Amino acid sequence: MAKKRILLIDDEKSLTSLLKLNLEETGNYEVRVENWPEDSIKAAREFKPDLILLDIIMPRMPGGNVAAAIDSDPELKGTPIVFLTAAVRKQYVEDHEGIICDHPCLAKPATVEEVVAMIEQHARK
Amino acid sequence: MKPGIIKVLLVEDNPGDARLLRAFLEEIPNRELELRLAPRLQDALTTLDEAEFDIVITDLSLPDSNGLDGFKKLHAAAPKCPFIVLSGIDDESLALGAVREGAQDYLVKSRLDPHLLDRSIRYAIERNRAEDKLITSEAFYHSLVEHLPQNIFRKDLDERFTFANQRFCQLLGRPLEEIIGRTDFDFYPPSLASKYQQDDQYVISTGRPFEVTEENIAPNGEKMYVHVVKTPIRNAKGQVLGTQCIFWDITERKRFEEQLQLKNAQLATNAEALRRSHEELKAAQLQLIQAEKMESIGTLAAGVAHEVKNPLAILQMGVNYLGKKVGSTDENITMVLQEMRDAIQRADTITRGLLDFAASKKLNVTPHQLNSLIADTLKMVRHELSKKEINLVTEYADALPKVAVDRTQIQQVFVNLFVNAAHAMTGGGTLTVRTAARQMASTTLSEGSRSAERMWVGDTAVVAEVEDTGQGIPEENLARIFDPFFTTKPTGVGTGLGLPVSKKIIELHGGTIEIKNKPGGGGVRVTLLLKPAKETN
Repeated sequence: MAKKRILLIDDEKSLTSLLKLNLEETGNYEVRVENWPEDSIKAAREFKPDLILLDIIMPRMPGGNVAAAIDSDPELKGTPIVFLTAAVRKQYVEDHEGIICDHPCLAKPATVEEVVAMIEQHARK
Repeated sequence: MKPGIIKVLLVEDNPGDARLLRAFLEEIPNRELELRLAPRLQDALTTLDEAEFDIVITDLSLPDSNGLDGFKKLHAAAPKCPFIVLSGIDDESLALGAVREGAQDYLVKSRLDPHLLDRSIRYAIERNRAEDKLITSEAFYHSLVEHLPQNIFRKDLDERFTFANQRFCQLLGRPLEEIIGRTDFDFYPPSLASKYQQDDQYVISTGRPFEVTEENIAPNGEKMYVHVVKTPIRNAKGQVLGTQCIFWDITERKRFEEQLQLKNAQLATNAEALRRSHEELKAAQLQLIQAEKMESIGTLAAGVAHEVKNPLAILQMGVNYLGKKVGSTDENITMVLQEMRDAIQRADTITRGLLDFAASKKLNVTPHQLNSLIADTLKMVRHELSKKEINLVTEYADALPKVAVDRTQIQQVFVNLFVNAAHAMTGGGTLTVRTAARQMASTTLSEGSRSAERMWVGDTAVVAEVEDTGQGIPEENLARIFDPFFTTKPTGVGTGLGLPVSKKIIELHGGTIEIKNKPGGGGVRVTLLLKPAKETN
């Protein structure tokens, strides 16, 4: 079974490298990290991910804008996006049944198990 | 007697008598006299018209006048001048008549001598002067009493009027002669009359003045306020002979006083209103300052929480990774990793609490049955309660109006309160939850809330009470329980944010939260007041 391709877009380098380590440790995922939000589209086109984990509060280009750009890109349209953010509270996410701005959302800090569960639920098969 | 020349007018038609008198007058020692002679009444009247005299000495039988008529005419021509009448031995009775008509003295011609004449003149002038003074003084007092704007009267010991001034006569509407000899009962209603006589009797029996302000009803029915002063009348020996009274209308003054009092009272009311609005303003200001403070704390808390979350996420990932890589061979490493996970969990709980505290003020308010909302919330803590062996008693009021609340937020409040109660009853106990509808007895004013929503006196509030049977809250802590981060719970159990968050949520709903030790001790009672949902038909 081919590994799922996960694109991790977050300006927080320590977080992305650790999350990448953890996800790859499971043996089920191939993870690419992009710490520059403005390069997100380029990275996504190259990497063709099965799922994008997207931070919301990032300098220069907020996650919402990145999501909108992906949604409106003919080539990338339909790529599953999961927000992973400290900007929302867990309670808020639960109240909205995990969907924020048309995309599933996971509040930081999340355990690896929670991230994996989210990926398994939403990634392209 | 005033020094200088005495001017004498001698009215005498008999030249012999005139000469004799002149001779007598010149014989008087130490006295300078200026004598004018008028042989007839007409001459005398003309002379009196031209000049003033210190004394007039006149015969009563003159060629152009005989008897008292002539004297009267002369006296009328010089009313202030003293007169001495000369008479013959046979007409003394006529001379006495002249004295009754105002002459000072009479002298019988045949018995005259210089010494007698001198004395008569001197006395006549002096007596005249004294009489004049007396008349002037009497006129003065009479005028004073009659023209004063005050009512004045006197009574004898038998309460009969002996005097009344014009003013009092006017008031009674009777002439003086209809007042003298009568009593108060002839003019006033019996109750007033006997009151007045009582006052008189006080003055008579004590000999002391009596003073009062009272209502008086004049015979014409006019009501007025009067100030009355009654004093005893005494004779030379000091015996009381009767009473005298002066009283005057003070209705106007009384009315002014009443107006003044009214104005004063109004002023006091205004001042009170001013003071109250000032206090309200002060309270509002305090509230605003507090709200401002809470808001900046909220903003700060949100910022901190957000900034802490990313590092926490990194730590979480790191611990995760290490946990998998190291495996569970080394007990110490396993323990260290677990401690780190717990620490991360704690930090996460606090940051979440901070975010709750700083949470957006937008409420998703819909009408809810408070009873069922509480029952649902109790299910969420059921496990916690049974674990601590806590009995649950619910006393739900029937037919409670629905409350307008954000269900999730209010549930969060109740969870906080139930958990607090559970924490307070470590050795088991009873949690009592009660609901009721209640009329507000005062208007709520909650500091720290910027919401203009209030419950006013007379509004119906929906009340929820949460009681525990724990140890209660020490007095010194009661004032601080709503302060962020104030907690008495062990580290890791409480964040110090549960109550501040709850308070904020309740106040956003326009409600109030009050936490007190139960009267008599033995636990805490939390009282929530919530607004009923507006009836929508």
